[in-house]
Amino acid sequence: MLKNYIKIAWRNIKANRLFTVLNIVGLVVGLCVCIMLFSFVNTELSFDKMYTHSEDIYRVNMETSEEYNFETWAELPNAVGPAMVQDIPQVKKMTRLIKDDFGVTASLKIGDKNFTENGLYLADSTAFEMFDFNFIAGNAKNAFANPHAIVLSQSAKERFFGDKSALGEFITVNNRDTLQVSGVYTDLPKSSVIDCDMVYNIMDSWMGTNVYWSNASYETYVQLEPNAKVAQIETQATQLIDKYVHKEGKYFTQFNLQPLTKIHLYSADIREGYSTKLGSISTIKSLLFLSLLVLVIACINYMNLATANSRKRRKSIGVNKVLGASRKHMLSLFYVETGILVLISVVLAFALSFFILPVFKSFTGNALGYQDLLATPILIGLGLIWLVVTLFAGSYPAISMTNIAPLSLVNKSKKKHTASEFVRKGLVVFQFAASIVLIIAVTIIIQQMNFIKNKNLGYDPSGVVAVSVKSAENSQQVESLENALNRKAYVERIAAVQSLPGADESGRSVRRISTDNTGMPIASCRTEGNVIQTLKLNLLAGSELPQSLAKGDSIIYTLINEKILSYLNYKTPEDAVGKIINTELGSRAIITGVVANFNFNSLKEDSGGYMYYKSNVAPESIRTLLVRYTSQNLQQLVNDLEQTFNENLPNTAFDYTFVDKHVAQLYASEEKTARTATLFSVLAIFIACLGLFGLAAFMAEQRTKEIGVRKVLGASVAGVTRLLSKDFLKLVGIAFILASPFAYWIMSQWLQDFNYRTPIHWWVFGLAGLAAMVIAFVTISFQAIKAALAKPVKSLRTE
Amino acid sequence: MIKITDLEKYYATEEVRTIALNKLSFQVQKGEFVAVMGPSGCGKSTLLNILGLLDDPDGGSFIFNGIEVAGFNERKRADLRKHNIGFVFQSFNLIDELTVFENVELPLIYTGVKPAERKARVDEVLEKMQIMHRRKHFPQQLSGGQQQRVAVARAVVNNPKLILADEPTGNLDSSNGNEVMDLLTELNEAGTTIIMVTHSEHDAKYSHRIIRMLDGQKVTENVLTEYKSNTLEV
Repeated sequence: MLKNYIKIAWRNIKANRLFTVLNIVGLVVGLCVCIMLFSFVNTELSFDKMYTHSEDIYRVNMETSEEYNFETWAELPNAVGPAMVQDIPQVKKMTRLIKDDFGVTASLKIGDKNFTENGLYLADSTAFEMFDFNFIAGNAKNAFANPHAIVLSQSAKERFFGDKSALGEFITVNNRDTLQVSGVYTDLPKSSVIDCDMVYNIMDSWMGTNVYWSNASYETYVQLEPNAKVAQIETQATQLIDKYVHKEGKYFTQFNLQPLTKIHLYSADIREGYSTKLGSISTIKSLLFLSLLVLVIACINYMNLATANSRKRRKSIGVNKVLGASRKHMLSLFYVETGILVLISVVLAFALSFFILPVFKSFTGNALGYQDLLATPILIGLGLIWLVVTLFAGSYPAISMTNIAPLSLVNKSKKKHTASEFVRKGLVVFQFAASIVLIIAVTIIIQQMNFIKNKNLGYDPSGVVAVSVKSAENSQQVESLENALNRKAYVERIAAVQSLPGADESGRSVRRISTDNTGMPIASCRTEGNVIQTLKLNLLAGSELPQSLAKGDSIIYTLINEKILSYLNYKTPEDAVGKIINTELGSRAIITGVVANFNFNSLKEDSGGYMYYKSNVAPESIRTLLVRYTSQNLQQLVNDLEQTFNENLPNTAFDYTFVDKHVAQLYASEEKTARTATLFSVLAIFIACLGLFGLAAFMAEQRTKEIGVRKVLGASVAGVTRLLSKDFLKLVGIAFILASPFAYWIMSQWLQDFNYRTPIHWWVFGLAGLAAMVIAFVTISFQAIKAALAKPVKSLRTE
Repeated sequence: MIKITDLEKYYATEEVRTIALNKLSFQVQKGEFVAVMGPSGCGKSTLLNILGLLDDPDGGSFIFNGIEVAGFNERKRADLRKHNIGFVFQSFNLIDELTVFENVELPLIYTGVKPAERKARVDEVLEKMQIMHRRKHFPQQLSGGQQQRVAVARAVVNNPKLILADEPTGNLDSSNGNEVMDLLTELNEAGTTIIMVTHSEHDAKYSHRIIRMLDGQKVTENVLTEYKSNTLEV
């Protein structure tokens, strides 16, 4: 029986070429998107599950007090880990992870070559056991046996030493520490948040030996005894705060354990942390939703085309029923047919995935490898998709067609199937409503991105390059570089600063009076001056920080923004100039100038308080030169900067960032969302059009006689085209009416994430509706014009 | 074999109710060959649909093989139909996607006959209809006469007790038409009951009895050949 079904189904598939091709193309596109996204989601969900003790490893996070807005931080004081191991029996091991220099790119000197490195960590040696470091040279046990040892990942080793052995070689970090290579390990898994490229012993540094409960900069991982009670350990850990921390130092109130396997996707609300490999569960959810939407649209296509085609199939269904076929027989036949078509589509889509993977990668920025497509869950998933799509897409056609009575065969009068027509129209409306929502969404996302890009940030990041000088051997080197650059024609202005806006400022707080317990958290940035002109900040009152300070001048000169000004309750900027400002920097700080607020962080957040300061006794060092340039030829600019840099800092790696690129980086994930959403919308509309094309073809065929009669009676080609298009365009109109409020609602929600957002313009909706209308019209008119141009005699003969 | 009494059927649209069968009564004996004639719209096709258990009457009684079937639901009717009734249509109604062999095999599949037996029976009936050499062809590759022979083969492959033929020669030229009528006569002579709807006086002459209808009612009945059933079964 099954053989028979397959045979008949296969012949049906072959007999209806247009139907088959439209269906397969639609399904392949939909399935391909699903396969891509499922692979992506699968890799995202598999993060950090590969370690032997994954289940027992947790990151310790802490809840901060009101002073820090009750934020959750992933970086803790370095005393927390050791205290937990010592005081809580169920904590077996711990390791602290901290990036060298708190995450600023390191400059390495190896032999006579300089390198920059972003993945240089300090850690406790327990990290090797906890995270299954696989040593191919040296071993975990002795790696940190000698002082000043460093271990490298295989790819780092190859980058620095090529094929040569690295064991025993020396690496100078930031012109500060010289370390000896004691081991090489295979690269850590791609899907792990632990992304150490090189690790040296935290106990070789003051960061490990000088244990304190104040500064929170250390990611702390603990390994618990198997089946340990997590809640109980959290309570015990929190109790350590009362035990060890003075009342004034308690700016954190609680410790939480975050499972290692959850860090990758569930850290959106957790501040700090060093890993570069953070994903987001909300992205995963929206991608899943979008891919299912595309797949549903493809399934609807199938339903539509299959039921439209049923008119053709009516005879064979009727005959079968007269000859004794039961409902079950006919259901099986249709499901087999759907199953075969979907199977072909799944296979084609899977094959196609391999070809378009690079395109997908470059377009959406989602990193996926070929091996990710071959993962077991994906292969099982393919089977599941096949089954679900077959059952879902096949359901409506199978049920509606098997309901055709045997009588319809012998009955000469053709009964109109209003119910199935209604459903079919409903499905078209759904497809187009979904497409219109996507068009509106994409337009608004793009508008918002442009809004952000073009928004006046309060400073001008374009035309400024930041050159890292943090690894200079001494301040004379920095000065000579600055002087050399000042002589260049393309250099307009230079400011020596601690950090470019929004990167590595120090967190401080401003108090209204020095005895206040809490203040306003601000970002403070040391500078040697010229920031106003270099960054084009808007000076409201007072002046730029002094060009030079007399020796022995112990005053701290500050530039504050309006946020701080209003916190301090000054009525006008002028009122504040010359007044003392209370910060942790001491009592001798005065306000030299006030600048307008500027967005040093992402526009998703409100711009906070910011303070530049200049002082002879600054606790922070100068790490960056901000260079405002006039050159148009960026390659030449970079080459010349590098040459000048190397002449002045011969032992330091040249590391630079264009400030506008740094700003763009803040919106990288939104940019990715925008591109992904665009891709999905285009695909969804494409699939919906395929369906419409097929429906129009069937409709034209069904109305062949009517068209013939109308033409005999004198209808024009345009008239017939209009006649056939009208019905569909009406459906698109209904889709538009349904889609608009939903799109408005969902995009308002999305925009809520941004502190600064574009208004939603009415014309976006008009445009989306018009676009859908035009696309639908073009699709239909091809069929309509074809039908209208046919000779009427031909069409009349078909009845 | 068939006894209908006061059979009624209406077709209702929003505004009008058309009477298709108006208290129609007659009997057909086992082994008989009956032709039903009448102008278009007189209710012939409606009658055939009801006799073929494709449709149910709105009133009256229909006894088939001694069983009252007027109130049967679709499932029961389908079951009775597939074991007892063969259909021959004016437009052949062969399935285009199936070969001659597969078309004829279809009723056997639905009555659950085993593949080996199916093959034997299909071959036998194709042989009898002299279209064995065309068994692998698709319907479109055959002439009208050949297509109707396949349709007859399909109607008889299950050895039905009753064959209902709806203008079986309507789409055929006269020589092909005669061939089909000869076939039906042979089947009838072998014992199959046949009820045929036709417009053709020529074809009607092959039957034992002609029932003429007008406006859903029987107007005359001409007996051409006195048929003596060897049973008294009604």
